[in-house]
Amino acid sequence: MSELYDAILNGNAPAAAEAARQALEGGAAALELVQSHMVPAMDEVGRRFECEDYFVPELLLAARAMKAALALIRPLLASSGAEAAGRVVIGTVKGDLHDIGKNIVASMLEGGGFEITDLGADVAPEKFVDAVRANRANLVCLSALLTVTMPSMKTTIEALSAAGLRGQAKIMVGGAPVTQRYADEIGADGYGENAAVAVALARKLCA
Amino acid sequence: MRLKLISCEVLYREMCAAAARSPHQVDIEFLPKGLHDLGGESMRAWLQEAVDGVDATRYEAVLLGYALCGNGIAGLMSRTLPLVIPRAHDCIALLMGSRERYRSYFENNPGTCFRSTGWLERGEDLDQAALLIARYGEDNGRYLIEQFNGYQRNYRQLAYIATGLEPDGSFEQRAREEAARRGWQFETIHGDLRLFERLVAGDWDESDFLVVPPGWRVKPTYDGGIIKREGRGP
Repeated sequence: MSELYDAILNGNAPAAAEAARQALEGGAAALELVQSHMVPAMDEVGRRFECEDYFVPELLLAARAMKAALALIRPLLASSGAEAAGRVVIGTVKGDLHDIGKNIVASMLEGGGFEITDLGADVAPEKFVDAVRANRANLVCLSALLTVTMPSMKTTIEALSAAGLRGQAKIMVGGAPVTQRYADEIGADGYGENAAVAVALARKLCA
Repeated sequence: MRLKLISCEVLYREMCAAAARSPHQVDIEFLPKGLHDLGGESMRAWLQEAVDGVDATRYEAVLLGYALCGNGIAGLMSRTLPLVIPRAHDCIALLMGSRERYRSYFENNPGTCFRSTGWLERGEDLDQAALLIARYGEDNGRYLIEQFNGYQRNYRQLAYIATGLEPDGSFEQRAREEAARRGWQFETIHGDLRLFERLVAGDWDESDFLVVPPGWRVKPTYDGGIIKREGRGP
């Protein structure tokens, strides 16, 4: 499809940055690079992950390559006034320090054209509330890797409800021990079984 | 009673000590600590196979030396014998002797990494670094190692759970050295073997143990009880 697309798919960060630089120098539009090359590349990465052709390392390396290209493209994107696919606040819930899954989802969403505010790990409910307000976010992504910290997802959703932000922002949850059933139980708007489905889910929730 | 205990090898010393003092005959089968890394569905499938392999004519119950373990026991079913499981999120709670004590420690000591004899001597981690570099090349390999170990940036303390079963101070010393190497604070906390002892003694109070009758499944509750039995299976 293109050198940029291939570089991202192959997890080659230097090649991705170089391809982006050359494309921009050749007069390509920033938004066009994202929409026609990077988003399809990350979609393909997600597809390959779904059919177990790619695994977590490939996801991480594709995200790394995507970010290397995005670092060059983003400043131009901002000045072009392009609308993000959605404004996302993401974090691992209070008490939980795991962040790989959350980082991968953040990268996939970023590659999918979303604007990301990453609050990191061990994030208290009130920090999510503040960040959603400050960033006018329309999507909140909560991650938990421990059954012992899963109840923090519930308290975070309750805090967002109490702050009257549920109308403004949809909530999606994920993490190894999290299930659709638990997502339904705590009133989340969506559950992603893995990083690959996160982007499609986010697009649906932000539509 | 004759009891079959299927346990994670990370609890090897604790389970052997408890079994030795049980009034019952306890046969133990240890499974690899690596199931912890497989997690979820894969861990459950492995455990289900072990449970299904128990000769129902020889035992009166199957005991699990596991906690909820990241939903690794969710959906597990005993077909012919009752299945007995301590109510806990993970083995750290078992080693501490109660889930309440674990919760309180967890909340008051964020960023703590735990060690015990089993965590120190069992299932040495693969040389993941070498494998990743060989597979993905130097630059991408190092990047992956950094990403996989990134969570450790968030740790501040290492706690060694001493059970009193150790032959000498060498385990504690190893844990102390690991903490120093990683630049974390170190603390020794005293474990409590009561849950192990009660598990193999048949003292299965409903508040601390879940007894799953044949045909029923284990389900997570996501509340203080941690696990429950559900439905009648096929």
